[in-house]
Amino acid sequence: MQQKILEIKNLNKSYGEIAALANFSLDLEKGEVLGLLGPNGAGKTTLISILSGTLRDFTGGVSFKGQDLFADRNLRNLIGIVPQEMAFYEDLSALENLLFWGGLYDIPERELRKRALELLAVVELGARSKEPIKKFSGGMKRRLNIAIGLIHKPELLLLDEPTVGIDVQAKVNILDIIRNVGRQGTSVIFTTHQLSEVEQTCTRIAIMDKGTILAAGTLAELVRIVGEKEIVEVSGEFSAGDFSAIIGQSDGNGMEILSVADNQAHLAFADSQAIPAMMQHLFQHHLPIADLKIKSPNLEAVFLKMTGRSLRD
Amino acid sequence: MRRTSLIIRNDIRRRLKAPMATILFMIIPLAMTAVIGMIFDPGAGGETTLPPIKLLLVDQDKGLAAKFLIGAFDQKEVKDMFQVTLVDAATGEKLMKKGKASAMLVIPAHFSDDLADQKPTALEVVKNPSEEFLPGVAEEFAGTMAVGFSAIAQVFADELKVIQSASKLELKDITIAQMTPFLEMARVKIIALQSYLSPLLLQMKASTTVKPGQTAQPKGFNIFSYIMPGMLIMFLLFIVEAFMREIQNERADGKIRRMMFSPLSTRELITARLFSGWLMGVLVCSLAMAVGSLLFGIDWGNLPLVFLLVVISCFWCAAFFGMLNAFFKNKNQAGAFASPIILVFAAFGGSMLPLEQIPQGMRWLARFTVNNWFITGCRTIVDGGVPYLSFIVLSVSGLVFAGVAMVALQRRLST
Repeated sequence: MQQKILEIKNLNKSYGEIAALANFSLDLEKGEVLGLLGPNGAGKTTLISILSGTLRDFTGGVSFKGQDLFADRNLRNLIGIVPQEMAFYEDLSALENLLFWGGLYDIPERELRKRALELLAVVELGARSKEPIKKFSGGMKRRLNIAIGLIHKPELLLLDEPTVGIDVQAKVNILDIIRNVGRQGTSVIFTTHQLSEVEQTCTRIAIMDKGTILAAGTLAELVRIVGEKEIVEVSGEFSAGDFSAIIGQSDGNGMEILSVADNQAHLAFADSQAIPAMMQHLFQHHLPIADLKIKSPNLEAVFLKMTGRSLRD
Repeated sequence: MRRTSLIIRNDIRRRLKAPMATILFMIIPLAMTAVIGMIFDPGAGGETTLPPIKLLLVDQDKGLAAKFLIGAFDQKEVKDMFQVTLVDAATGEKLMKKGKASAMLVIPAHFSDDLADQKPTALEVVKNPSEEFLPGVAEEFAGTMAVGFSAIAQVFADELKVIQSASKLELKDITIAQMTPFLEMARVKIIALQSYLSPLLLQMKASTTVKPGQTAQPKGFNIFSYIMPGMLIMFLLFIVEAFMREIQNERADGKIRRMMFSPLSTRELITARLFSGWLMGVLVCSLAMAVGSLLFGIDWGNLPLVFLLVVISCFWCAAFFGMLNAFFKNKNQAGAFASPIILVFAAFGGSMLPLEQIPQGMRWLARFTVNNWFITGCRTIVDGGVPYLSFIVLSVSGLVFAGVAMVALQRRLST
């Protein structure tokens, strides 16, 4: 049986009238890489802030390795954080930063230096360890941000959108690092709104919106929520109202509406034979359709089904 | 303690790696001191002396008393002070209109006769309106001469009449018999006055007030030592403020959140920040003062006392801006409010204007500024005193601010 490292139960946090977290519950097992997927404003950063202890006035409980995370401050030392921002000193070198951040933990100096050099090699910054960070590219800075989060060998690593604002090559590099961290036994919670990233990296995925978990499981488990249906993405210059009105006049034929927005809608068909008839119906009503895509069941379809909107919204 | 010192060392290392901002903050007060000093005292660089006062003399009398008066300007001490040019009235007026002299002294017609006849007469002093100080000196000097001449005219009234009338006669018309009684009378008066005049019973001795317990000798006026403390404390406020604003930057860019995951407590973090700001202020201020001494010949007085004043003032600045940053919501708010606060402190505290120039009704505001206590503290030390009041006010208020900063920042950083 896998060991639970983190248990979050019924977390609630509001900003005035707006509920950032609403009865949020989540478990994490040792070595698991969990992708927390949600659109902007879903409550991902609020969750990370509560876990880091920088946000108070919430209700609910968090236990880490079976103990209340907020009762014993030392427990937090077993967690590493990689904030969305570049949280390090740009006028220092990569090595100096690692030595500073590691120095805040009670790691003997010699061991700290050894660990810092090892980590720099892992994130492929060994050759430039003594250069000021301000000369680094965005991808290099993101890699260093992760290395700092790992300097004290945490048992749980929290990554808050670690791939924001970097190119594809750098993104692939960072996702590799995250996968390797998980393989070495460190549990990871990784927030993002990039579907492809969690599909490639995570052993388990949780879909989150409006402060709560809508669905959680492996990629295969989540896809089963949508079933074996074909997903059709319809794009064009139409309004959500017009689309809903026209589609409402059809006989349905086993079709499910996943999402409808201005200029784009997603439909799921249990029988692929029903797709041409539905398209004909739309054209007959002169709906200005510009593009039509038929997709196999995937995480995006699950997300659309669970939230009723795409991640771009 | 280990983590606190780690943060302080890290802060100092970062400043040393990118020292430009700190160096600029040190250079600007020195440069401003130099510029302002040069404007008000172009020959500055040491102790200042007054330049010779350009005085125009118009003699409309041509009599004996006028000759005595003009002759008085030939005395060595007076010659050093005044650069006298004899002119007629029309030329004098023209030169004054062109601002070529500080003052014009007009000896009126019949001045000698009127003195001899004991009639009221007046020396006229025309002052150059574009100058403030030097014409005043000329006026004072003329006033002193008028008093002296009045006294002589009253004591030797009879003799002056005879001498004055004799001066208008041909030499062949003056007989010894006519003059003898008056000369004898003058001789008797001089003998009578001798016990007062030689030696003078009353002598004037100039000295500068020295407070009890002070040993310093009166010093010459160095304009830079007057300007620099004000400039220094103003820029010290800017330096420490920039340093303390790091708290806001670190909150915004996630460093604080990351630190809070480590064993570092908020108390350790705030202590480190206050201490870093304090230490940086002391370093920059001490260095700027040393450079000020070398460049401008400023004598700061008792060095351990000055250092203590710098240490206490820097602590005050760190505590004050630590407290303010606890109440500012973000770095933009901190940036927007801090500069006006510093400028208000500078305006009312004596950094921009000498305290004496601030309107009486607003002078009480200076008591609420670190600038005032630092500047007056520096002056007290230069005068050989100990600025107990500055030490007490800055230490006590600094400790209060540090206490408030500690409590408020802990709340701010943990929410």
